[in-house]
Amino acid sequence: MKTKSLRFRMTIWYAGLLATALLLFGSAVYFGLERLLNQQLNESLVRQARTIGDEVMVDFATKGTHYAVTEIDESYEPAVNARFIRVTREGGGFVYRSPSPRDASFDSAKIADVVGDDRSGYAPRLIAGNGRPMVIQGLRYETPSGDAFLIETGAPYQLIAAQLRSARLAMILGIPVFLLAAAAGGLVLVRKSLQPLREITEQAERISSTNISQRLPVARTGDEVERLSLSLNRMIERLEESFQHISRFSADVAHELRTPLTILRGELETMAHQRPHDSESLEMIGNSLEEIDRLARIVDQLLVISRLDVGQAGIEREPVNLGRLAETTAEQMRLLTDEKGIMVTFSVEPGVVVSGDRLRLKQILVNLLDNAIKYVSEKGTIELIVRTEVGRALLGVSDTGIGISAAELPYIFDRFYRTDKARTRATGGAGLGLSIVKAIAIAHDGNVSVTSSEGVGTTVWVELPLADGYGVDETDSECESRVGVEARQFKASPKIS
Amino acid sequence: MRILLVEDESKVAGFVKRGLVAERYAVDVAPDGKQGLEFAQTYQYDLIILDLGLPELDGNTVLKRVRTVDTKVPVLILTARDAVQDKVSNFEAGADDYLTKPFAFAELQVRVKALLRRGPVNRASTVRLRDLELDRLSQQVKRGGKRIELTIKEYALLEYLMSNQGRVLSRNMIIEHVWDESFDGLTNVVDVYIRHLRKKVDDQYEYKLIHTVRGVGYAVRDENQA
Repeated sequence: MKTKSLRFRMTIWYAGLLATALLLFGSAVYFGLERLLNQQLNESLVRQARTIGDEVMVDFATKGTHYAVTEIDESYEPAVNARFIRVTREGGGFVYRSPSPRDASFDSAKIADVVGDDRSGYAPRLIAGNGRPMVIQGLRYETPSGDAFLIETGAPYQLIAAQLRSARLAMILGIPVFLLAAAAGGLVLVRKSLQPLREITEQAERISSTNISQRLPVARTGDEVERLSLSLNRMIERLEESFQHISRFSADVAHELRTPLTILRGELETMAHQRPHDSESLEMIGNSLEEIDRLARIVDQLLVISRLDVGQAGIEREPVNLGRLAETTAEQMRLLTDEKGIMVTFSVEPGVVVSGDRLRLKQILVNLLDNAIKYVSEKGTIELIVRTEVGRALLGVSDTGIGISAAELPYIFDRFYRTDKARTRATGGAGLGLSIVKAIAIAHDGNVSVTSSEGVGTTVWVELPLADGYGVDETDSECESRVGVEARQFKASPKIS
Repeated sequence: MRILLVEDESKVAGFVKRGLVAERYAVDVAPDGKQGLEFAQTYQYDLIILDLGLPELDGNTVLKRVRTVDTKVPVLILTARDAVQDKVSNFEAGADDYLTKPFAFAELQVRVKALLRRGPVNRASTVRLRDLELDRLSQQVKRGGKRIELTIKEYALLEYLMSNQGRVLSRNMIIEHVWDESFDGLTNVVDVYIRHLRKKVDDQYEYKLIHTVRGVGYAVRDENQA
């Protein structure tokens, strides 16, 4: 279990508090019990002494020692009850001394003459006895006839000690068991009350810019969790609104730019056509027209991205054989690679079919290939990789180009981002090519990633979902002849004579 | 040939009209949807060029109303919107072609011409320009009687240029025609192919037939005739 989880921490706190409370309560009960038992014993000893005085010793003068001894033995049976009784006559010897009890818990004869110095009686006290502790007290009793006695009664402390021991045992065994049960119960309860939080977390993880219209589950319980999910939902709503604002904003800007661009272009074209010009003005007009073209391209690309941002609307899904698409696209761009003497190799697992918009997927390939061609030096290599990995299709475009520095890697899919190296080269792009690739991939429930090392090369990976039922496309006749992963170079393209 | 241009942006209307008039078309301009519809219902036009974002009545409504009366007149839509759904819904409403702003006038010209020559297009199997000859049936290209070997793409490019000889074709038009949308705007694929085509078609000859029009595109024409 994660020690930082709320569940764990709550349970620990709860168990700790409970343990402290139990310990406090337990010791209070224990010491209270000890006191109570002591008190009871003491009281019973004093009471007994008093009864002996009131009922037996009162008649001592008339009935004599023998009567007293018999009476005490019969009434109290100290040997059976494990009681110590000793009656001493003031100024005389013992009147009575109980025999050792049958359980031999103490030896009456060996109990010291505690009274020695004080004949006026003493409060209950704990003495060592004959090795075992016992409680003993002395009560001074005076008969109406003038005789005075010290009546001592005692009992082994063992009785109380045994009771306290069992109470202690019950606590030592009982408290941990109880704590454990309470902690387990608490864990279950916390888990149960945190369950909605977990659901909220999982759902929140799933919400991204492409499905931001989704909301979190709201349990109508009226508790804090409901309030949390409601306010999170309101936050997502505000996020969605601002997302839409941004998306609508770039779409609006792009739309608004189109009409003035049309006018500029039209006027310049008319100018170029109608009046005779020197070559310098024609050059200027040509330059302007080219820049207008560039602006128009940026506007178009912005619109493409903002449309893809809105979500999967407009993505037409059909099964597309990714490997074959890669090969035909590369073939269509062959002159561009030929010009730089770039070798294009394929590492294509046959029959990888994804579900997607053919034109858009092709655009991914065109953009990635175009980038690779731009940054690969003469006689470099571009490798196109298509394969499946854990149920997803992977498209890789790997080049032996200038590479991208680690510092710039995280930004290359950002809009209008261009690496310093790309900026210094007159490549003419707006820095939207890779953003388009990313937008298309995400609109297809896919993703993009990149690995690169400077001076060695770059590989861009696009991950796409496989089409339903197509792990490997068996019906693909073109691929039947090929087995496994193959690498091949372009064959000469067919010529028309 | 009489063309109705429904466009609220007067500057756009201005240069489109000038350009079309220069091509010897008669052009009426309507500045809003309501007037456009009145014009369309009053006169017989050979072509309607319709902007979608219009005051009074939007382009879609105008198109639908025009179609209830006249099912034949070709309609070319001009718009700043180019979502696939928009295109589909406009074609369903009866548009014949679609042009996204900003467009090159050359492109408008070609589309207008294509729409006006509706019906069976006279496509001779052989197209000629000076000593360059392209046979559509056998897909053979000869210059000065000498056969030129072309790849599929090079042939498609030359065929498109030759079929529109004398006209300037923008890179976008060429890409849409010879490649497809996914190549749009990002690559210099057209320039590279033109360069290769030139090497094979023009380099050894004194008369150059493939011409670059800066900022607009390419054209195949006989400069001496122009």
